[in-house]
Amino acid sequence: MGGLQKKKYESGSATNYISRNKARKKLSLSLADFRRLCILKGIYPHEPKHKKKVNKGSTAQKTFYLLKDIRFLLHEPIVGKFREYKIFVRKLRKAYGKGEWGGVEKLRENKPAYKLDHIVKERYPTFVDALRDVDDALSMCFLFSTFARTGKCHVETIQLCRRLSVEWMNYIVASRSLRKIFLSIKGIYYQAEVLGQTITWLVPYQFAHDHPTDVDYRVMATFTEFYTTLLGFVNFRLYQTLNLVYPPKLDGKGETDHLMQSLAAFHWVLFFSLQPQDDMEKMEAREKAQQEQDRQKKLFEGLKFFLNREVPRESLAFVLRCFGAQVSWDKSLCIGSTYDVTDETVTHHIVDRPSLDKQYMNRYYIQPQWVYDSVNAKMLLPVEDYFLGVTLPPHLSPFVEEKDGDYVPPERLKLLALQRGERPEQDEEEDEEEDEEEEEDDDDDNDDGEEEEEEAEEEVKLKNMEEKRTQGKVRVTPGKAKQENRQRLEQEEKAEEKRLAIMMMKKKDKYLYDKIMFGKKRKVREANKMAAKRKALDEASKSDRKKKLKK
Amino acid sequence: MAAARRHRLVAASQPGFLPLKADLDGSGQTTGRRKRVNKNKKKNWNKYSDIQDVEEFLDDVRLQERAAGGLIADKPDDSLFFVDTGNQKSVPEPGGVGKKGRNSKPLRIDLILQPDSRIAPPKDVLAHQRPNAKKERRIAQKAEKLAAMGVLPRRQKLLRRPPAAPSVKEKPVTSKDPERNFYDLWSAGGPETADLYYLEQTKKKLVKRPEKLNEKPSVLPAVEVIAPGGSYNPDFFSHQALLLEAHEVEVQKLKAEERLQRKLAINKADVATEMSTFKEQIEGLVEEEEEPNPEAEQVADAVDESVGSAAQREKKTEKQRKKEKAERMKELQKKAERKMIDSRQQLFKLRSISADVKEMAQRTRRRRVQRKARQEAQKSLPRRLGKLKFQAPDLDIQLSDEIPGSLRTLKPEGSILKDRFKSLQKRNLIEPRERAKFKRKHKLKYVEKRAFREIK
Repeated sequence: MGGLQKKKYESGSATNYISRNKARKKLSLSLADFRRLCILKGIYPHEPKHKKKVNKGSTAQKTFYLLKDIRFLLHEPIVGKFREYKIFVRKLRKAYGKGEWGGVEKLRENKPAYKLDHIVKERYPTFVDALRDVDDALSMCFLFSTFARTGKCHVETIQLCRRLSVEWMNYIVASRSLRKIFLSIKGIYYQAEVLGQTITWLVPYQFAHDHPTDVDYRVMATFTEFYTTLLGFVNFRLYQTLNLVYPPKLDGKGETDHLMQSLAAFHWVLFFSLQPQDDMEKMEAREKAQQEQDRQKKLFEGLKFFLNREVPRESLAFVLRCFGAQVSWDKSLCIGSTYDVTDETVTHHIVDRPSLDKQYMNRYYIQPQWVYDSVNAKMLLPVEDYFLGVTLPPHLSPFVEEKDGDYVPPERLKLLALQRGERPEQDEEEDEEEDEEEEEDDDDDNDDGEEEEEEAEEEVKLKNMEEKRTQGKVRVTPGKAKQENRQRLEQEEKAEEKRLAIMMMKKKDKYLYDKIMFGKKRKVREANKMAAKRKALDEASKSDRKKKLKK
Repeated sequence: MAAARRHRLVAASQPGFLPLKADLDGSGQTTGRRKRVNKNKKKNWNKYSDIQDVEEFLDDVRLQERAAGGLIADKPDDSLFFVDTGNQKSVPEPGGVGKKGRNSKPLRIDLILQPDSRIAPPKDVLAHQRPNAKKERRIAQKAEKLAAMGVLPRRQKLLRRPPAAPSVKEKPVTSKDPERNFYDLWSAGGPETADLYYLEQTKKKLVKRPEKLNEKPSVLPAVEVIAPGGSYNPDFFSHQALLLEAHEVEVQKLKAEERLQRKLAINKADVATEMSTFKEQIEGLVEEEEEPNPEAEQVADAVDESVGSAAQREKKTEKQRKKEKAERMKELQKKAERKMIDSRQQLFKLRSISADVKEMAQRTRRRRVQRKARQEAQKSLPRRLGKLKFQAPDLDIQLSDEIPGSLRTLKPEGSILKDRFKSLQKRNLIEPRERAKFKRKHKLKYVEKRAFREIK
C-alpha cells in the first residue's frame, strides 16, 4: 500500500506516554536515580485512560509517565550531578581497592553535592503554595526526628529534621497559632492556622518503635531530603514575618535541647495585624472573631504549670507555651527548667500516676488530658473531672463536625453547654455557692443526657441564680446579658421566620418537607436510642463500681 | 631443532674443535638470533645503544687527571722518567728526631682526609669581581628614592605581610548538612541582570515547568485524621463504630475466602469410585444384561418416532405451505390495521405517554448523577500505577481491653512510617512496589562432605 497510510500506535495517546524503563534509558540514569529524580522534581506516573492503546495492544500492567514530563526532566541540572556522583563512587571504589589512601582522601574532599533550592522555587512559585504543601513536609520531618541515630539512615538527616521541627514549633509558639489537638493511638495530631492556611500534622509519640521492614527507606529518605529543604525555607520566611532572627540563636549549644532553651529564650510581643477595612458588618464580625481568637490565645495566661516526670514533656510544654503559660519540670529530666517542684506559686501540677505522695496545698493536681481538652474546648474546663485517680472523660476529636441529627456524645453536649452556659457567668464575680450549684447541676445533667432537658435545666439554673442575687444585696452587675439577648433574639427571629415559611408552603412542597423532616427525625430517634443505651451502660457501670466499693 | 642446536654448541665447546666459520666457537653463543630492535623509537635509544668504549676512555682520562694531575701524554719526560745512575744514597732524612720527643708521623686519619686528587680546585670567580663604585652609588640612590616614596624592597614587603591563614577549603553545601543556611527564596528578586538569550544559551535560565505538573495527583488531603474512635481515650460509640469498620473488613476477607472454597468445592458424589471407573472401563465389552435393555428400547423408540414424523411431514408439505402463507398474510394485515388504530389511539394516551417520558428522563438524570458520583469517588481512589495493586493499610484500632486508662499506659498502635508510606501511595505519588527478591542465576550444588558420607 502507499506510504501515507496511518499506522497504529504512531500518534495519539500511544505517543503521549512513555514507559518507565524507556524514560530511564532516555535519561541514562539507573533506576534508583530515576526514582529519586522523579520524587525530587515532583513528577508522578500517570494511569492512562486506555491502557491498551498506550501499551500498543498489550494489557500488561506497566508504569507510564507523560512524555512531556520526561522531556522536561532532560533539562534538569541535577541529572548531571547524579552522573558525577556515579563516577565518583566508581573512582572511590578503585582507589580503595588499590589502597591509594591519599587518593581516597582527595576524592572524599571533592565529593559532588547538589542543592535543591531551585527545585523548591520552581515547584512552589509563591509562598502560599509552599504553605499548602507544608503539612506533608512537617509530618515527615517530625517522624524522622524521632528515629534512633543508628546508621540506618544518615544521621545528618535526622539532625536536620530535628532542628527544623524545633524551629517550626518555636514559630507556632511565638505566633500562638495552634488551634486543635487530638491524641490518638497512632500519634498526636496538631492543627494550626498559619497565614490563613490550616495546617495539620502528625507527631509520633516519643516511645521507641520498631521499624517495619516493608517500607522503602530510600524513597522516604528522598522525600525527606526535599521536604527538609522546603521546610527550611518556609521557616525562614515565617520567622521573617514575625521579625525574628533566623536561625534562632541560643545561649549555649545544646544539641538535644534546642527546643527548650529556645522556647525559654523567646519573648514575643508581636501578633498579626488586622486586615484593612471592609464593610461595617464584616468588620464587626471579624472583630468578634478576632476577639475570640485573642481570648483563646491567652487561654493559659498567668497560670504556672509543673510537669511531672512521666508525662510527655515536649508535647505538653509546646501546647502550654503556645497559650501563654509558664512551664517547668524536674531539673534532672532536661535543661531549661526554670523553677522547681517546691515553688509555691505553681498553680497546676500535671501528673499521670494514680496517686502522689507529697501534695502541696494551693495547686491543682491534674492529668494531662485536661490541657488538651481545654485547648479543644477553647476554655478552661473544670479541673475536678481530671483529678488523680478519677476516670477521665473520653477525649473527643476536635476534627469531627457534627451535623444536625447525628449522634452527639453526651460529653460533647456537656461541653457545648459549658461553652454556652458558663461563659457569660465566668466574667462576673464568682461565688463559691454558685460554683457548687453548677457542679451539682452538671452532675445531674450528666445522668439525664437529653438535650431538651438540659436546656430546660440551664434556664432553671439561671433563674435560680438571678433570684438569689436579687434576694441578697442589690448589685448592679455589668451586663454581659447583652450577648445572651442578641443570641436569643436572633434564634427567636429565625424560628419565627421558619414557621412563617412553613405555613406559606404549597401543599406539594409541604408534603415533600414532611417527608424530609420524617427522615431527619428518624436520625434523631436513633440518636435517642443510642443515648438510652449509653445511659443503661453508665448505670450498669455505676452499679458495678458500687458493688466493687461495697466489696 | 633445539636438540640439534644444543648438540652443535656442545661440539663447539670441545677444546680441539676447528669451526668453519670464525665465530662459530664457544664465544658465539649470543649470535645466532639477535633481537630485531626499532632504533627509531626514543625508548630504544638508551636501551640498545652501547657506549661502553666511550665510557672506558673517559674513565681512563679522569683517572689520569686525578692521579697524575693531567694527561700523561702531555707531561714532560722528566716528570715521568728518571735515569737510574747507580746506588747513591739520597735517602732524605726523616724529619727531626723527636720534634715532640716522639716519632711524628702524620696520623692516618689526617692522611685519609687529605685531598688525594691532583686536580686543582676551580677558581672562585666572584672573588675577583670588584663592584663598580658608580654602579653601587646609583643603586643606593635609587633605593633611597623608592624608600622615600614608600615602596619597600621585596624582602621588607614579605616580612610585613600577615602570615597566611591556613587555607580552609570550602565544603560544597549539600542539601543534607544539618547546619545549612536558609535564605528568603520567595523575595522578589530583581529583573534578570543579563540578557535573556545569553542566559538561555549558557543554560543558566531554567526551563519553564509545564503547567500540568502543578496539579496535585490526588484530591485527598496530605494528613488524614483518624476517626474519633481512634482517640487514646475514646467515646464508647465512636470506638464501637471504628471496631465495626474493622470487623467489616475482616468479614469481607472471610467471605472472599469462603467464596473461593465454594468455587473449588466438588460434589462428593462426583468423585470417582472404584466401581464407576470399573464400569467405564468395561463399557461395551461385556454383553448387555437386563438392566441396560429398557434404555436401549427407549432409545430405539425415539429414533423411530423422529424418522416417522419426518416421513409424515413430507406428505403434507404443500398444503402446509399454502396455509402458512395465507396465515402470514392475515397476520400482516391484522398488524397493519392494529398499527393504524394504535397510532390513532395514542392521541388519547398522551398523558400516560408523557408520564412515561418523564420517568425515563428522571431515570437518566438519576443515572447521570450516580455516574458522576461514582467518578468523583474514583478520583479519590488510588490509581493503578504499576504491576502491584494498592493494598489498603490495616485500620489502627485497639480492642476494648487494650484501651489504656491514661497517657502513661498507652501503647502506640501502628507505625507512622508505614502510615506515611501508604499515604504517599494512596495519593498517587509513588507506585506500590515490593522488595526485590534474590534470584539465583545458577542452581546451588549441594555436596556431602566426605566425613558425612562415611557415616553409614
